[in-house]
Amino acid sequence: MKKIITALLSIAALNSVSVTADTLDDVADRGTLRCGVVLDFPPIGYRDANNEPAGFDVDYCNDLAKSLEVDVQIMPLTWSERLPVIATGRADVVFGGTSDSLARARTVGFSIPYAIYYSQGVVNSKSNITSIDDIRGKRVAAALGTLPEQEWLKIAAKWGEENLYQSYQSENEVFLAVAQGKADIGLTTNTAIKPITQQYANLEAGPRMPWVADYTSIVGKRQDVTWLNYLNLFVTHQVRSGRYQELWGKYVGGDAPDLRIPGVMY
Amino acid sequence: MFDYNFHWRPVLKSLPDLIQAGLVTLEIASLAMFLGVVIGLCLALMRMNMTGPLKWFAVTWIEIARNTPALFQLFFFGFGLGAFGINLSPFVIILTGLSFNCAGYLAENFRGGFQAIPVMQINSARCLGMNSWQAYTRIVIPQVLRIVYYPITNQMVWAVLMSSLGMLIGFKELSGETQFFASKTFRVFEYFAVAAVIYYVIVKIVLGASRLLAMRLFRY
Amino acid sequence: MQEPISFFTGFNPNDLWFLGEAALKTLWISILSITVGSVMGCVFGWILHESRFAGGIILAPILDVFRSVPLIIQLVLFYNFAPMVGLDLNPFLSGVVILTFYTASLVSNVARGGIESVEMSMRRASRSLGLTYWQDLFHVVLPIGGRTVFPAWIGVVLGVMKDSALVSVLGYVELLKASQILITRTQEPLLILSIAGVFYFALSYPISLYASRFEKRWAK
Repeated sequence: MKKIITALLSIAALNSVSVTADTLDDVADRGTLRCGVVLDFPPIGYRDANNEPAGFDVDYCNDLAKSLEVDVQIMPLTWSERLPVIATGRADVVFGGTSDSLARARTVGFSIPYAIYYSQGVVNSKSNITSIDDIRGKRVAAALGTLPEQEWLKIAAKWGEENLYQSYQSENEVFLAVAQGKADIGLTTNTAIKPITQQYANLEAGPRMPWVADYTSIVGKRQDVTWLNYLNLFVTHQVRSGRYQELWGKYVGGDAPDLRIPGVMY
Repeated sequence: MFDYNFHWRPVLKSLPDLIQAGLVTLEIASLAMFLGVVIGLCLALMRMNMTGPLKWFAVTWIEIARNTPALFQLFFFGFGLGAFGINLSPFVIILTGLSFNCAGYLAENFRGGFQAIPVMQINSARCLGMNSWQAYTRIVIPQVLRIVYYPITNQMVWAVLMSSLGMLIGFKELSGETQFFASKTFRVFEYFAVAAVIYYVIVKIVLGASRLLAMRLFRY
Repeated sequence: MQEPISFFTGFNPNDLWFLGEAALKTLWISILSITVGSVMGCVFGWILHESRFAGGIILAPILDVFRSVPLIIQLVLFYNFAPMVGLDLNPFLSGVVILTFYTASLVSNVARGGIESVEMSMRRASRSLGLTYWQDLFHVVLPIGGRTVFPAWIGVVLGVMKDSALVSVLGYVELLKASQILITRTQEPLLILSIAGVFYFALSYPISLYASRFEKRWAK
């Protein structure tokens, strides 16, 4: 009897060795990759004339699904949803220009950087903002839960001007706010400057923001190292095959930024 | 299956801020209700006693407020009016939107209240030598207020709940503040769970206050 | 260096279809939630009426939570909670679940009021004529009480239909979300919000018109 019980207990113990999440297996079993993107961030993510998702990140989703030989399910997200969907397991992976901050890395896992941006202002032509110091006393807008918001609030706190800052739900609402005159300057990403200033006569490219370049990574479950390894490999393959340059040229134009950080072994 | 780790510490750290934001919610709901009652009363009287453009103005206001979502109305006061170059601050947008909405709903409640008062009473009051202003303010409106007291209380609860839409237009009442903290710490579930509890408490406080007030007002 | 594609495209007739389809989605999510929620609400209302313990002590406080916490917060909480317990719900299903419970909590009060509006003497009479308890409930209480609270139920229906706009927060492309998508693409907030408003009005106004006619007919 004792033997049987110990045997049963040992089986139970074996089972309780937690079955870790393995996204690679899950995706293969499901046959679809649930891929989060932000679609109000032209040209990285937007909707074409037929309201279908398009853009640099969307193509990266398609490429990743192709590499896994599964179908793709594009999940449109807002900026502030990008991490919760991974933490709660609603998505397998999120593209969507996510800066790899250490604070975020406590919640989710990051691949190596797959694209690099820097933050730049888009200004209303009436506002006469040409440098960072011109922003003193002006109304600033940025999207909720983005790196520009967090960085700007540090500067605003120094100046004692947090009351002039207003957050919006999406990048597009930031553009609208600046175009309609609700704000004098909107903080966005350099890639979005060209399309948005072409769209509105009264919007101009503003100053580059004083914080460091924005290294953006693919987001996956923090506990799932094998999945993050796969994503790293995927990024290097995109570069090696020339696909990175091809898509960057198609959507942003010009040379794709170098993904290496000088003096760092990645 | 359950591999989400709850982290309550950041939420507890910002609890004082959330309670502060709860007061903002209460404040905005009270303001919107006050405006809503005043405007709603005017709209109800316009719809019943006027003819021509003023009546149509009231009817249009009431029907739009009652037949489109509150969130839609807020977007309209935000980016819709912005297209005309009318830029309101988030605080004004939420106040305008809530007042607009409450006024429309309350106007119908008031109309029902007025219709419940027999015309005979107004006639009697006029016979006693009151002018129509006196008859309304001393005889009719006090009775109407009693009839619509319960619907007004209900509307106040709605106003508290509706103010949560402020988070979608960047206004920092309780939901907006919650969303802001959640976006910084990525602890969406924990933060919103705490916000839900605070809302529940606020609603109970509103209902309790309304009962106490009713006891004081209607003692005869 | 090729010139990239245009990222903003103007409003075209196809987009009217897009909005129309989204309006149908709004209708669909509303019909589904209201139907299931109303049936559940009637059962809950009956329990509230019949049982002091199960109704008064257990069910009533639970239903009360759905009425005292903003819908938007309920949606966010449930949407984030479901995957933790292994339910992989899309925004549509999450929305339906929460809207259904929300409807049920509102309808339960209406249903209870309906049951209580039927006089005890009438129910005793029907029982003495030899009807069973269930026959009495379905053939006496339901038609008579139902008629009394029908306008209140219509009020709930209209409320839920408008509140379904909040499911847009989860990313379900109903009418309001569709208009946001189009605003992003076309940068024409005023035009698109106006069209969306007309769609909402067209969904809601006929029902409220019918309800007020119904009330007038019964008032006679």
